[in-house]
Amino acid sequence: MFQGFPEIKEALMSNKMQAAFMVAPMAIALRAQGVPVKIVYLGHRYGSAVVVRSDGPVHRVSDLRGRIVAVPSRFSDERLIVFRAMAANGLDAKKDLRMVEMAPPDVAGALAAGAIDAFSMGEPYPSQAEIGGFGRVLFHAREYWPDFISCVLVVRQDVIDKRPDAVQVLVDGIARSGLWLDEKERAKRHRLHAADFVGRFYYHQDPKLLRWALTNPIDRVKYEPLSPRRADFETIVNLMVQTGVLDHAIPFEDFVDTRFAEGAHAMTAWKYEAGDDRAR
Amino acid sequence: MRKLVLAIGAWIIAITSAHFVLNVNWQVLMNDRLPEGQRKLNVAYIPVT
Repeated sequence: MFQGFPEIKEALMSNKMQAAFMVAPMAIALRAQGVPVKIVYLGHRYGSAVVVRSDGPVHRVSDLRGRIVAVPSRFSDERLIVFRAMAANGLDAKKDLRMVEMAPPDVAGALAAGAIDAFSMGEPYPSQAEIGGFGRVLFHAREYWPDFISCVLVVRQDVIDKRPDAVQVLVDGIARSGLWLDEKERAKRHRLHAADFVGRFYYHQDPKLLRWALTNPIDRVKYEPLSPRRADFETIVNLMVQTGVLDHAIPFEDFVDTRFAEGAHAMTAWKYEAGDDRAR
Repeated sequence: MRKLVLAIGAWIIAITSAHFVLNVNWQVLMNDRLPEGQRKLNVAYIPVT
């Protein structure tokens, strides 16, 4: 587990990590710089929001003018959604507000302390601010960006070339987990159970926080469809060029390998309920 | 003198053992020693969606 995206990037480039979940624009920027990695799948859809102080003066997007907004990285969809929302309200994020980069675990504390006026971040940090009572969601990413993508699964090209079977097993597992979390009438039960074991054994966060993020409401974060789609990524690339973090547009095929998503297409949800000794 | 040396030796062994148990991730070390084709993939993430 890492605490920030720059460290993940370094670990991936040095082969300490062979795969990583990272924000989509960072993966695209790495590929544009010639780093041999590819996006093979998505981590989720939605699950990001812009949060402001609950007792503060920001009540609509236009109130963000002149404020300080924290984002996880200049190469993040959370930065791009701020540009998009500001543009939809007749403003330019480059001129009308100040963006600062901040590690995700630090933003809720910074908002509570008044060091920033808002943050644009993935869950569970918007939930953390809401539960703490000092933050209020100004808007969820879905309101300005249908089918919003944040984190994607990136794999080193040498691993894709030498061990495609292992990559397929990884993608299949993520696909099955996503279907399990979104499984119709069982979705809430599965998400509550996932919040418990992920909070305790993986994220080392209070399960109450993840329960809020995964169920309030139930589609706050979605886990399907997770296949990388050309139109979604072309939108991201165009926004990256427009906002000055990418010199020129690069073709979808240069940074995405869709064969593993196609291989996982027929996957079904894990058969697993709380108390079972293993998933099947 | 002999008692002192034994005590220091026992202390070093205890601290070293505790370090190996508590601070060394043996699963990662053993995985890194396997042939490349048999290693588990290391997947990085941060505690965020």
